[in-house]
Amino acid sequence: MSERAVLYSRSRWLDAVGALGVIAMGFTVWLGLWVTPPDKFQGNLARLLYIHPAIATVALYWVGIVAAGGSLLYLWPRTRSFFWDRLAASAVEVGAVFSALTLVTGSLWGRPVWGVWWTWDARLTSTALLLLLEIGYLALRRVPAEPAVRARRCAVAALLIAIDIPIVHFSVDWWNTLHQGGTFLDPGFKIHASASMSWTFLLGFIALSLIFVWLLGMRYQIEVLQDAVGDQELEVSLTERWSEDTELVGVGAGEGEPTPGGGAP
Amino acid sequence: MSYVDAGYAIALATLFVYAISLVLRRRRWERALRVSEAPLAQADGAPGPGERP
Repeated sequence: MSERAVLYSRSRWLDAVGALGVIAMGFTVWLGLWVTPPDKFQGNLARLLYIHPAIATVALYWVGIVAAGGSLLYLWPRTRSFFWDRLAASAVEVGAVFSALTLVTGSLWGRPVWGVWWTWDARLTSTALLLLLEIGYLALRRVPAEPAVRARRCAVAALLIAIDIPIVHFSVDWWNTLHQGGTFLDPGFKIHASASMSWTFLLGFIALSLIFVWLLGMRYQIEVLQDAVGDQELEVSLTERWSEDTELVGVGAGEGEPTPGGGAP
Repeated sequence: MSYVDAGYAIALATLFVYAISLVLRRRRWERALRVSEAPLAQADGAPGPGERP
């Protein structure tokens, strides 16, 4: 196995982050489903809010920062490196999973509270658009091209997708939406929830953020391995071609009739 | 099953399945890399599988 592949696969810190994320998620589920009291207005349905906003935060902000930041750093000539391209691509794939979960958990909360599974509300529609754009990015990444061309193309696509992120964020302020605005924290950062609910909410954010880092790291390792396999295959093809040429030259020299240019006839 | 249970079950199951799929994909690519490196090692003169050095 090449040094580069060894360097990026099986890192212990990543396994530790994953283990911490899983433990934190276990505590979130335990606190969210069994320990925290029912909400004064929503009853048990509020328990979905220990995971839904956290999943949406990962899908929108963490993925947005990594994908847009990585793409920008790739496009910037001074920082251009395939590291940023791979990181952005990994973030978009993990982001698509989190975007889909945002829509599903939101829909499961909306059905009993709003009375509908889905409505063409600005927040919901812009989030669905984000998922579609992420799927489009992943399709674009599979289009065969030179690595540098693919990376540049994908970086531009990721920056175009990033335009949707402020739209999703401000949709509840810019339009009259069924989706509520920020209800947990007001502009003066006064928390409107009991202590146990607040801690569970915070733990959910930490757990899902750690799980995001873990999944992102694993996905990044796959990108490195894929590129390493591609490089090796190219090297093998070149080596085979070179050895064929050498054999032909040897045969030609033995017969006293060298082929033009020393290559294959 | 309540909406809350369904939400937690779907979220946890999806993340679990995705994590497992990443582990399996990583293993598959590690194997592919080892296989693709074998012809290069032979071309460099290293003994192939079953050959004596």
